[in-house]
Amino acid sequence: MIRLRAALGLLVACSVALLSCSSSHSDRIVVGSKNFTESFILGELIAQQIEAHTNLKVERRFYLAGTYICQQAMLAGRIDIYPEYTGTALTAILKQGISSDKRAVYERVKDEYERRFGLTLGPAFGFNDTFAMEIRGEDARRLNVKTLSQAAQFAPQWRAGFGYEFMERHDGYRGLVATYGLHFAEEPRIMDLGLLARALKGRQIDFAGGNATDGLIPALDLVALEDDRHYFPPYEAVPVIRQQALQLHPEITPLLADLGGKISDEEMRKMNYAVDAQHRDTQDVVREFLKSKGLVP
Amino acid sequence: MIEFRDVSYNVNGIQVLSGLNLRVAPGEILVLLGRSGSGKTTTLKLVNRLVSPSSGQVLVNGAPNDQVDVIRLRRGIGYVIQEAGLFPHFTVARNIGLVPKIEGWPEERIRARVQEMLQVVGLGPDLALRYPHQLSGGQRQRVGVARALAADPAILLMDEPFGALDPLTRDELQREFTLLQRRVHKTVVFVTHDLREALRLGSRIALMEAGKLVTVLTPNEFVKSPDPWASAYVRAFGDGLESAANRGTS
Amino acid sequence: MNLLRFFVQNHTEVLESIRGHLWLVGWSTLFAMLIGVPLGILIAHRTQLGQPVLATANIIQAIPALALFGFLLPVPWLGARADRLAILALTLYALLPIIRNTYAGIRGVDAAVVEAGRGMGLTESQLLFQVELPLALSVIISGVRVAVVISVGLATIAAAIGAGGLGEFIFRGLAMVDNRVILAGAIPAAILALLADFGMGWIEKRLRPQ
Repeated sequence: MIRLRAALGLLVACSVALLSCSSSHSDRIVVGSKNFTESFILGELIAQQIEAHTNLKVERRFYLAGTYICQQAMLAGRIDIYPEYTGTALTAILKQGISSDKRAVYERVKDEYERRFGLTLGPAFGFNDTFAMEIRGEDARRLNVKTLSQAAQFAPQWRAGFGYEFMERHDGYRGLVATYGLHFAEEPRIMDLGLLARALKGRQIDFAGGNATDGLIPALDLVALEDDRHYFPPYEAVPVIRQQALQLHPEITPLLADLGGKISDEEMRKMNYAVDAQHRDTQDVVREFLKSKGLVP
Repeated sequence: MIEFRDVSYNVNGIQVLSGLNLRVAPGEILVLLGRSGSGKTTTLKLVNRLVSPSSGQVLVNGAPNDQVDVIRLRRGIGYVIQEAGLFPHFTVARNIGLVPKIEGWPEERIRARVQEMLQVVGLGPDLALRYPHQLSGGQRQRVGVARALAADPAILLMDEPFGALDPLTRDELQREFTLLQRRVHKTVVFVTHDLREALRLGSRIALMEAGKLVTVLTPNEFVKSPDPWASAYVRAFGDGLESAANRGTS
Repeated sequence: MNLLRFFVQNHTEVLESIRGHLWLVGWSTLFAMLIGVPLGILIAHRTQLGQPVLATANIIQAIPALALFGFLLPVPWLGARADRLAILALTLYALLPIIRNTYAGIRGVDAAVVEAGRGMGLTESQLLFQVELPLALSVIISGVRVAVVISVGLATIAAAIGAGGLGEFIFRGLAMVDNRVILAGAIPAAILALLADFGMGWIEKRLRPQ
């Protein structure tokens, strides 16, 4: 019986030791990202920015499978910072209605995050990864069409293609055609998002609902039409950080401020293209970008 | 001391006991004799209310036993079963000292009592720290008796306590029990199906068959009884029963 | 070796994940014992309740883990924190082996011993704590052992809903198509399960009455 007690005691001691040998985040910071290219480019950007200017050990936890997972990891303190989109934060996490006012959405998300979750937002990176309605570059130039309002008159001649989710969302297809009075030749084709751009290029469709920062837009000479009636909600990319982490490492605040507004839609597309289509290493692409902006030596 | 008034017991549609009227005098060993299914074990269990009668009353010390606190009732009655029912995870000492312990006796008194009981049942003090599985059948049964006597109850209930032992050990224990009873004068209700044992140990023998009390006789009366069931029993057990009948009283 | 170097380089992360995993398994097993052992005792003493209780536990067991996580996600207080949800789900899955073994353990106690105890004047609670539970303990621990091993496995799936633990490595590694990351989660998880099985088996054996 004594040996048994000793063994149990040892087990308890080990457990306590293991559970309390804390991952002190006092000398390290964990950067997370979701599992698509743009997200890990941004994650890598944050990571390299911190690495270049501090002595903190940066741990990367990329490829987290989605918004909810990232949010939970933040709340549990497993990651300290990750890139999110204001529109996604508002609808998916805060479960509130969205408006098209960029500033209002940003402020709303920041306030709620600080109040409810102990998280805060850094300044937006500068681009808006919202929905982009694309047409072929040649059509845009020939018809002199730059905005969605202008495109409306040609819609009856076009076949459209959209992703499944866009068709389903009430702030997707239905709202789009209502806002701009679009009447397409036939029912839109529902396709996999990844195939939309090529289908557009290959003339299987004439109007595609993709993402604003899709790398294939410049590569395939596609044009994203301007949302002049501001129908689409803003999805500004922002870094979300744990307030505790900021308190532990106040030197991060200016570093994130430096990243604010540095990436335009065009620049994000170029980086996405480099990684996705040209299969270049994410770390190299990010390092190049940071150098070009004079953010790292 | 113990009285059954018109007691019947049925369960699941089976009439296990009917119309039992029986008195047990203080200080006597009343043997409940019968074959399997005769209701003798049930009768025993009615005394400490492990079983409750369907009709009729069981009185212990003049009071109906369903009107007193059942725990107090049971702690005042020693209960010995076949194969002793010792707690396998307690030492001999802890087994014997169990009722004194839960009755709140001081440690010293319990320890002394355990030693005393070991002596009374003829076991050496060195067995106190052994576990039941380390003892022989006979030793276990003795511990069972010691345990039943530890809190000094007035009544002892014994359900075929020597049934699972070899003949030599059984004989030994029967002899010792008779001597023990002469010293402690407990009121004992003893269940057995063995006539020889009944004749040897009992002050009186209550013969039961199919849930009914057939007759209550002293050992000597039993051997000579003209009652059909009694004589059937005597016949079944063969010769030399008179000596058994006499040995019990000598 | 490549993998070994990976472990060394990322040891803080791995340890943190192990901790997260143990957190999930520890709390859920504790809750399951707090609920399951009393329930098992109850149905051992009142057998007519046995059927519905065991049947319910069986049904819960049959629900695929990921589906159960999915059901619970929309629930307001639970869904807000994935580890809460995971601990609840893991508790539910641990119930059946614990209830079932408690039931079997208590019923397996020699009826003669229990009756002797009752006849001697032990109260029901004294019978339970001094006789039945000590004698049933080994079987009960065996049930807890099964529960723990199941939990260690299921907790890896909990990462799919963001509860952390070693499963997070596995899912990330799958997305990255990087074996080292997958193994950084899979190997410790397997070792944990084996350790738990072994350790508790040893305890179980020590507690078995001779």
